[in-house]
Amino acid sequence: MTDFVLARPGKSRRPDLLAYAALSLISAFCAVPFFWVLLASLDGNAQLFLSWPREWTLNNYVRVFAEEDGARWVFNSLFVVGSATLLVMVLAGLGGYALSRTRAWWKQPFLYAILLIRVLPPTALVVPLYKILLTLNNIEGNLVRIFFGGDTARAIMRWIGFIDGYLGLILVLATMQLPLALWIMKTFFDGLPRDYEEAAVMDGATMLQRIRRVLIPLALPGLAAAGLFAFISAWGDFLLPLILLSSPELQTLPLGLFRAFLRVNTIDYGFLAALAFIYLMPAVIAFGFARRFLVQTFSGGVKG
Amino acid sequence: MINLRNVRKFYGALEVIKGVDITVEDGEFAVFVGPSGCGKSTLLRMIAGLEGIDDGDLILNGKRINDVPPDKRGIAMVFQSYALYPHMTVAENIGFSLSLKKVPIAEINRQVGEVAEILQLTDYLDRRPAALSGGQRQRVAIGRAIIKKPSLILFDEPLSNLDSALRVQMRAELQRLHRELKATVVYVTHDQVEAMTMADRIVVLNKGIVAQSGHPMDLYHSPDNEFVATFIGSPKMNILPVMLSRPEAGKLRLENAMGLSISLADGDASVATGEAKLGIRPEHLKVSQDGQGDFSAEVVIVERLGVETYLAVGSPKDPIVVRAEGDLSIRPGDRVSLTVDLSACHLFDSNGRVIRRPQTL
Repeated sequence: MTDFVLARPGKSRRPDLLAYAALSLISAFCAVPFFWVLLASLDGNAQLFLSWPREWTLNNYVRVFAEEDGARWVFNSLFVVGSATLLVMVLAGLGGYALSRTRAWWKQPFLYAILLIRVLPPTALVVPLYKILLTLNNIEGNLVRIFFGGDTARAIMRWIGFIDGYLGLILVLATMQLPLALWIMKTFFDGLPRDYEEAAVMDGATMLQRIRRVLIPLALPGLAAAGLFAFISAWGDFLLPLILLSSPELQTLPLGLFRAFLRVNTIDYGFLAALAFIYLMPAVIAFGFARRFLVQTFSGGVKG
Repeated sequence: MINLRNVRKFYGALEVIKGVDITVEDGEFAVFVGPSGCGKSTLLRMIAGLEGIDDGDLILNGKRINDVPPDKRGIAMVFQSYALYPHMTVAENIGFSLSLKKVPIAEINRQVGEVAEILQLTDYLDRRPAALSGGQRQRVAIGRAIIKKPSLILFDEPLSNLDSALRVQMRAELQRLHRELKATVVYVTHDQVEAMTMADRIVVLNKGIVAQSGHPMDLYHSPDNEFVATFIGSPKMNILPVMLSRPEAGKLRLENAMGLSISLADGDASVATGEAKLGIRPEHLKVSQDGQGDFSAEVVIVERLGVETYLAVGSPKDPIVVRAEGDLSIRPGDRVSLTVDLSACHLFDSNGRVIRRPQTL
């Protein structure tokens, strides 16, 4: 009897240790690139191969902002991805609610059809997408030029143009993220009993009061999850800004990184590493927030 | 007083409420009871205004309210899931309807305080619903209803989320509240025990029509049809197929395959002979082992509870249930004699309608 009791913890400890060892190995494997980038970005003389910095310096970071247009790139990235995320949250919130509550026959076909947007490789869509956006852009540009002078028109188109303008990129990025966000919100609202809204109706709440005081607070975990997913995914997108943007003033962080890498003669690893580290920070921070909501959203929604 | 007159509801071509007439008097505790799918919840939601009424009239205190929006009807509802907002405190939940009406905060607090007093929730006003027990959540849901001072409170299966001990306690509490508030209540449940214990009036619904409506004891003692007879009372009434014949004028003979043979004095010659059903409640069959009885049968199952004993006799597939006082030492396989209490049994025609007999038998 005693043997049996003693044997059990021993038996379960060895697999535990193995599991911890394996997990530590995998964690280290995942963490090494981050560590590498951080180390290289602080190295005054960074090389292609990882080495312990002989001189520690923040000079690489300073150069990103002083010599290059780093602040501009950060703003562009944050503005474009932030706007796309906001758009996704609003549309996914409203659309997800509608898709969850409707009994229309096209609901299932529609839900699967929008997944196609997500499944098709964006690279395959680049040519037709560019063609459509270019046509729209030309029409829009002509209209803007009629009402404003040439220089003003160019400045305006930088914001609302479909090609080489913020709006076009924002719309395309939002489109790419919307299907998943719609699915997340639809599933979230499925788990939200209608009773909440009906109780509010019985209490005399108008449609707006129901949305503001009942639905939005209840949907917040889902919205946050959908928004953070959209943000993280759009933040990492490289292809679309590369194709849709050409003005240096509109350049986003990944483009800045890419072009810095392509510069002739010297590859400045310290500079690249600093830029890369700046680029990955928002995604890591966003993921930190997302974890909480992900658990809430994907483990059964609201418990009342 | 609430009045339903020939109320109907369709889902597409499917008629789910087939012309229902119900009256609930002021201060009455009315229970709509029936198996799932009988339309009781739909009917409740129609009264609340959450479902439209396709035909007929819904009249509350003399006013037709078919087209009055839910919040203007003066009706409150307690939902099965309670539907307490998880992001609000108990006080905010209870006062939500007042805050929507832009009532001053001091007044809301005063009224919430009063309601919390009645429901013994004063200590919990700052908590979120997640930090409450099932019974407390139930009381918050009731608080949210009564703060509106409604002329009618609707309950949609409010106890089905509670464990059985709490359910018994809440049953008593709801009755106490009903006495104190003198409110008119319509309460929906599928549990006939809940209906029997709490109701002033039971409305038994079946397939979208009212099978019978009345005081619980009226339904128990004189059911209008086989459905009500078997639905009300636990364990449920035994229904035995019998052949009715009239060997001579003024006499009615009942016979069945188990050897049952009873003669009834029959004052009403209009009772049709032929196939019929005899309804006997388990408590109206007397067991003996002396061979003296209306018929005998083999015991299939014995459940000894000490204070009473339940026997299932006859065919194992469709046994007759008998309730006997006290602890009987009968074993499965024994043969027992059964005597029918003729004054308490019911006769139904082949369509399940009761055959009323003008005189006691």
